Amino acid sequence: MKSFKKVLVLLLSLLMVVSMFGCSKEGGESGQKTDGIDDSKNVKIGVLVADATGAEALAFRSYYENYIQKQYNVTFMYSDELSDAAAEASAIDNFIANNCKAIISFASADRPAQIRKCAENKVYYAVATGTLSDDEYKEFKDNEYYVGAIGPDLYTEFMAGYNMAKHYLDQGFTKFAVFGGATPYYVDMHIYRTAGILVAMCEAGGGDYNGAKDMGQMIGAIYGMNCQLAPAKIGNVELVSYIGGYDFDDAWFGKLAEAANNPETEVLLAVGSGLDTFAAFKRPEQKLGTVDSYTADAVKAMEAGTLDYLAGKFSASIGPIFMATLSAVQGKPIRTANGEALALSQGYWVATSADQAKEFYSVDSSTTDPAYTRPMLDKYFGAAYDDFAAFVGAYSYEEIQNLKK
Amino acid sequence: MDNEKIVRKEHVKNLIFQIAPIVGLLLLFGLFMAFAVIKDINIPYSMKNIINQSVIVVVVATGAIFIYTLGSFDISLGANMCVSALIGAMAYNRTGSLAVMIGTCILTAVLIALVCSVLASVFNLPVFVTTIAMLSLLNAAVLMLIGANGTGDIIQVPAEAVSAINTVWFKLIIMLVYLGICIFVFNFLKLGRQEKFAGGNPECARLTGLNNSKLAIIAFIMAGIGVGLGAFLTITYAPTLSRNTASSVGMDVIISIVFGGMPVSGGARSKIYSAVVGALSMTLLSQIMLMLNLNSGISQMVKAIIFILVVFISMSDGRKSILPR
Repeated sequence: MKSFKKVLVLLLSLLMVVSMFGCSKEGGESGQKTDGIDDSKNVKIGVLVADATGAEALAFRSYYENYIQKQYNVTFMYSDELSDAAAEASAIDNFIANNCKAIISFASADRPAQIRKCAENKVYYAVATGTLSDDEYKEFKDNEYYVGAIGPDLYTEFMAGYNMAKHYLDQGFTKFAVFGGATPYYVDMHIYRTAGILVAMCEAGGGDYNGAKDMGQMIGAIYGMNCQLAPAKIGNVELVSYIGGYDFDDAWFGKLAEAANNPETEVLLAVGSGLDTFAAFKRPEQKLGTVDSYTADAVKAMEAGTLDYLAGKFSASIGPIFMATLSAVQGKPIRTANGEALALSQGYWVATSADQAKEFYSVDSSTTDPAYTRPMLDKYFGAAYDDFAAFVGAYSYEEIQNLKK
Repeated sequence: MDNEKIVRKEHVKNLIFQIAPIVGLLLLFGLFMAFAVIKDINIPYSMKNIINQSVIVVVVATGAIFIYTLGSFDISLGANMCVSALIGAMAYNRTGSLAVMIGTCILTAVLIALVCSVLASVFNLPVFVTTIAMLSLLNAAVLMLIGANGTGDIIQVPAEAVSAINTVWFKLIIMLVYLGICIFVFNFLKLGRQEKFAGGNPECARLTGLNNSKLAIIAFIMAGIGVGLGAFLTITYAPTLSRNTASSVGMDVIISIVFGGMPVSGGARSKIYSAVVGALSMTLLSQIMLMLNLNSGISQMVKAIIFILVVFISMSDGRKSILPR
């Protein structure tokens, strides 16, 4: 009996010590870790999506639902796939009716209308993986309900295309086929990537494309062509084929096949969806580069040699905008010194080998230890703008791994 | 005595089938309210939201009932609405007049509907065949209009121009006025009876002296007015138009009409209120699924199953039994 009591006392003491240690650890970190994050109340956040089934969209969703939602007392409500401004307005109405305190948007049919509607209803609004135009930012930067935008800015998009093309031009390739994605639909992100490819070709080839050589001229030239580009010789290099749009009909697939089957074409470049477009038609001796996302299929394609350059968004890249949104909802908004909303750029992870892609993907697809974990994000709850900007700016794989240590 | 029993049984059966959609709507409303209370939903905003989301489908579907009554259907309604909205928006941007915009929307939609029905009459084709051709034409027209406007991939009306009329009351008034006209035409004028007759048995109607082509043209004009109003209300709600504007309207209209208890074969059992009942039921169902935070895949599956069930039940009330009198 005595020994039982001793064991009991020992166990209870141990339990107390562990608890105290646990408390002190939590408390110690909570100064940084939670520092005011109120986990007692569930926060509903609406998420607007223009793409509900794409690999990239699913990866983003998985990060929010399978990691963030399990770590924080938040509930994400996802919209259906939104195809136009009316559908966006309708989805926002749904979220407001369901008492969402904030909306994170991946849809861009009419961003100003989205922000206005949210602000009128005192709901915080943030842009994930995108940016506002300069005029839009000027209009909304002082609106307290506009949290801001974190994502590749247009210069980053331009550089994504430029670096991809340069990667092959530096290896001496001169004949290219380009898939311009949503360029014919006037989607800035794809227009800038396409412009980047063309400027790199101009620099390497010593020529011009429709009279344009640098970024500004090239954007002007593309708009001047109503975003309908055509093959051209650019000095010593050549844009052998160009395909734009997402028609997904026989004629469109035919054009992709024709571009890949052209014996002159050495390199296939896609400003988006390279695996869904060129990969099926690519000849073994050709090279394929794309701006896309880290998925199991992309890794397999790199291992198989189908794909050899991938500039991809990583799914946890939407972690910081979540933290900025949560901060705003819980009364600690992250704003510039002038009280303006966030406008921070974030770039891509670039893999040029299968091993690299595999390494990136294993982190990117993890639901237990993703690129941005709760302890990393918690440090920036209600943070000063400069600290937060530095955190977002250190987006490369290596930098993020260093931050984790 | 036996015959009397059968007739009474049929009457009861008919009554059940007639009130079933309304009972369904009331049940969905009850469910919605129950979940709204449990989930602490913003009920006033939800009600406003339900009206906002239903009103366009109600208006377009109410007009489309005239076509469905003839036993036909129009799959180009969404594309027609998109073209009408784009032209209406361009007209506003030229004139700055809302009256011109609404007039242009209605005129464009009616003209497109007329072309569709006249083509069917001239070539003696089933109406739905011409609507398939029209769908392709209108989709091409959308791209041309957007390209010709020279404003990227959108056509926009300034938000402040329509913000004053983007109210629930304004939309309700438009809906009720149009609904009133349609109910009057459908239920109290001989045109409505003729449409039901022609839809139930076109050959018999022709032999009786009815001009089926004329009836089809009138049906399309009524539907065109609804589409034009729908286009105007779309601009009011979201003044940024793109090639995807109203892309889901065509399907929403079909689903609403069937949800509302309209027989897919048209004819005598056609009901003008089916559109209202169906659109509201569909919106309530969507809202309930949203409250439960079901992902869109599951919610689409639920809708599909209910759709098939409704069609199955309405078909089981078929003509194997006695004709309604």
